[in-house]
Amino acid sequence: MKRSTFFSFVAPSLVSMLLLIALPLVAIVYLSLHQSFTKTELREVKTEVPLFGGLTREVVRTVPQSVLDENGNPVRVWQYVGGENLRNALDIDGLESALNVTATIRWPREFISALYGEISDVAFWSALEFTLLYTFVTTPIILILGFGLALATNRIIKPLRGTVVSVTLLPMIVTPVVSSLAVYWLFIDGGVVTATLEAVGLGKFYFLADPFTIRAVIIAFGVWFAAPFAFIILYAGLQTVPEDPIEAAIIDGATPWQRVRYIVIPYLSPLFAVITLIHVMDSYRVFEPILVFGSSVFANSVQYLTYYTLVFEGNIHKAAAYAVLTVIGVVILLIPIMIRTYKDQKAER
Amino acid sequence: MKPARFNVITQTSIGLGLWFWFFVALLPFFWMFTISLRKPVDAFSTPPKLFAPITFENFRYIWVEDGFWQYAINTTIVTALTVVISLTIACLAAYALSRYRGALGFWLLMAAMVFRAMPHVVLLTAYRPAFFELGIWSRYETLIIVLVAINQPFTIWMLRAFFMNIPQDLDEAALVDGCNRWQAFFRVIVPVMWPGIITAGLFSFLLAYNDFIISSQLMNGDMATMTAALGNYMGQNQSVVRLMHGIAGAVSITIPIVILVFLFQKQIVSGMTAGAVKG
Repeated sequence: MKRSTFFSFVAPSLVSMLLLIALPLVAIVYLSLHQSFTKTELREVKTEVPLFGGLTREVVRTVPQSVLDENGNPVRVWQYVGGENLRNALDIDGLESALNVTATIRWPREFISALYGEISDVAFWSALEFTLLYTFVTTPIILILGFGLALATNRIIKPLRGTVVSVTLLPMIVTPVVSSLAVYWLFIDGGVVTATLEAVGLGKFYFLADPFTIRAVIIAFGVWFAAPFAFIILYAGLQTVPEDPIEAAIIDGATPWQRVRYIVIPYLSPLFAVITLIHVMDSYRVFEPILVFGSSVFANSVQYLTYYTLVFEGNIHKAAAYAVLTVIGVVILLIPIMIRTYKDQKAER
Repeated sequence: MKPARFNVITQTSIGLGLWFWFFVALLPFFWMFTISLRKPVDAFSTPPKLFAPITFENFRYIWVEDGFWQYAINTTIVTALTVVISLTIACLAAYALSRYRGALGFWLLMAAMVFRAMPHVVLLTAYRPAFFELGIWSRYETLIIVLVAINQPFTIWMLRAFFMNIPQDLDEAALVDGCNRWQAFFRVIVPVMWPGIITAGLFSFLLAYNDFIISSQLMNGDMATMTAALGNYMGQNQSVVRLMHGIAGAVSITIPIVILVFLFQKQIVSGMTAGAVKG
């Protein structure tokens, strides 16, 4: 294909991506390096204060008032502040002082606990902490659960398999806000799960009011939401496992577990890698359960923090600083995938 | 792979495990459907009731009196146009990327991969102030072009995987017979690509339909899509009656997806595995 033809084919798609994805990425860097505020000035304001009997007195006060332009709109001032927004978002000063204080403490344990105390006080670090916890706890569970389900589904009779696949697809395909709500209603006070646990005598849980249980519930949601993806990929992979080595292993007397461990798992290992990579990227943008469960105090995510700063605090510059940090994180996560794709492409040519 | 033979106990426990997953996967949806058909008193009773009188009042209220149909129309317009536009321009790009051998194509795919991984909140941070300044807030066109652009990276990658499976000989035969690239694409390639296009269309639909973050922030009031409108019912201090309407809304959003899953199960699975299984 000629270069000019190539360009005319990709142009519409490329323009849309440049305009609405690449340009916004440049814009958030710009926003994060600036600060804006409404320009104010001190002005003398005369007001008539009523005294008594219809008498008034004129009072002159100096009040800060926003400066208006010719059209009567308040003037906004943009100021270049460099890395200040990023410094504040990461709270570098706070971290430094925490390190300086703890420098006098000799035990590493106390040092770590002081550092942890500082981290949990800063919105960004605590959000990152839960995002990473969520990622690293859910990843192995969805791999094991997805693989187990794939092996189990592979055993049942063919006509039933379609039903299993359809049902399993539901948690991952239903609108995430809706599926978060559906799970949320099970765990509220008096919800099905809460009431059942109480009825069987395991005690009364306030799932959404305790830092430990709310984190557990969100992680359980993450597993329920992402395991189907691992299942579908691994189940499709199982259909491509060659029969010959397995039959050879049966003749050699391998147990079913040994066949899975030494033939199936090595054969599917590229799929495990793909699932891990995609799941890590998806976990990094976990958002809906945090919003729906209202868990941002106990378990926040970087995405929700940015959203909250942008929408509820209305602080675009701080939100942009969080967004820039997010982008840096995404690029770091993508490096291994990009290297892999680069090698694949080289091999293709 | 042929399954191994086990003794009765292992067989039974595998079966039970599968049933348990069935139960866990369906329980939240089952419960949501059940309570959407109840009066507020029965829906949130303690202890929860398995059986209670059925009423369609919640659905009647939101669809007839609360104007949920307006949100449904918005969702239909936005998702339909997003899918059509997104597929059209992504097909062109994916076809070119599957046939062009230059280094530029590779870098474009790499950029698309980075864009695909970009969390939507990051983009929203830029959209909010920019669209407000430009005064293009809360309009169908705005949301549609944004969703089309966000859709592109994923759709391009998926469609490219399908185009790679169509032998190059096919285009070359058409070129030899006197077609130019465009004619070869529309007359020869597109007709054999339909299964792939339908699969990619399903995923574009899901992305547009399921989006909450961007839709809820770019559209106001009557322009909201169904998913975004759910936020109106879900505030922290809402009454139980209002909450019941929200549950009916959530169920209304879920039903089309359930139908979709059972109708297009094969296509969804092939789309998910297109990139992954082939490497």
